[in-house]
Amino acid sequence: MEVEREIVVPETPDEVWEALTEPERLEEWFASEAELDARPGGEGVFRWGDGDERRVVVRELEEERRLVLDWDDGGTVAIELEECEDGTRVRVVETSPEIAPALELRALSLEPSAAEPPTPGGKTAPPDAALAWTAATAA
Amino acid sequence: MDGGHGGVDRVFAALGDAGRRSLIETVATRGTATATELAAELPVTRQAVAKQLSALADAGLLRATRSGRETRYEVTPAPLEEAIEWMVSVGTAWDERLAALRRSLGGYGKSRSIRQAPDDSRS
Repeated sequence: MEVEREIVVPETPDEVWEALTEPERLEEWFASEAELDARPGGEGVFRWGDGDERRVVVRELEEERRLVLDWDDGGTVAIELEECEDGTRVRVVETSPEIAPALELRALSLEPSAAEPPTPGGKTAPPDAALAWTAATAA
Repeated sequence: MDGGHGGVDRVFAALGDAGRRSLIETVATRGTATATELAAELPVTRQAVAKQLSALADAGLLRATRSGRETRYEVTPAPLEEAIEWMVSVGTAWDERLAALRRSLGGYGKSRSIRQAPDDSRS
């Protein structure tokens, strides 16, 4: 399931992009402390004043257009920028963590093909990112 | 985050089907119901209803209790509340972050963005 938000800001996409990807800028709006290696497969850590800490892996990055982060709990946030007449449209979609969606669907008898293994790709977390993350944390 | 949101997707998967939604609605409206009672009201067989009811109970959306020879079902609000809670907390967090982003951008006006009221997030 998803939560979606959209705002239009008067700045240009490249100005907004800096605020999304530079750690010192992220600390102004996203988290109290931010570390982010803004490239595909790059890692980040965000800390908040209440002691909360979340780790991310950059799943997708398209300069000045699209940034997709995988949270360490299995959730995902996608931020898209689109130039518009009044500046830049910023669209955020956060997807809730999923735990074995294929199993859940099977439990509900939604699919007749219940014997099929879960297919990688599609809307579920890409195995590459998950592996990259495991490798990174194990290193 | 407590990481216990697995039920959330299950709830929405369950609610993604019109037949199941109407089944839950009917059970909720009646308070409790058995497969026989529901089959009498809905254009489906008792067996089909019984199967869906049992799946919905597995997903935690309905609670099943034996009542004589039949199983009686009622709606359990907890998984839905969890889903709504997640939506509200994540939605509120993004409302706040995006308002802060807007303020932050206002303070960085470079080439063309000269903001008069950087912290006015509505108008």
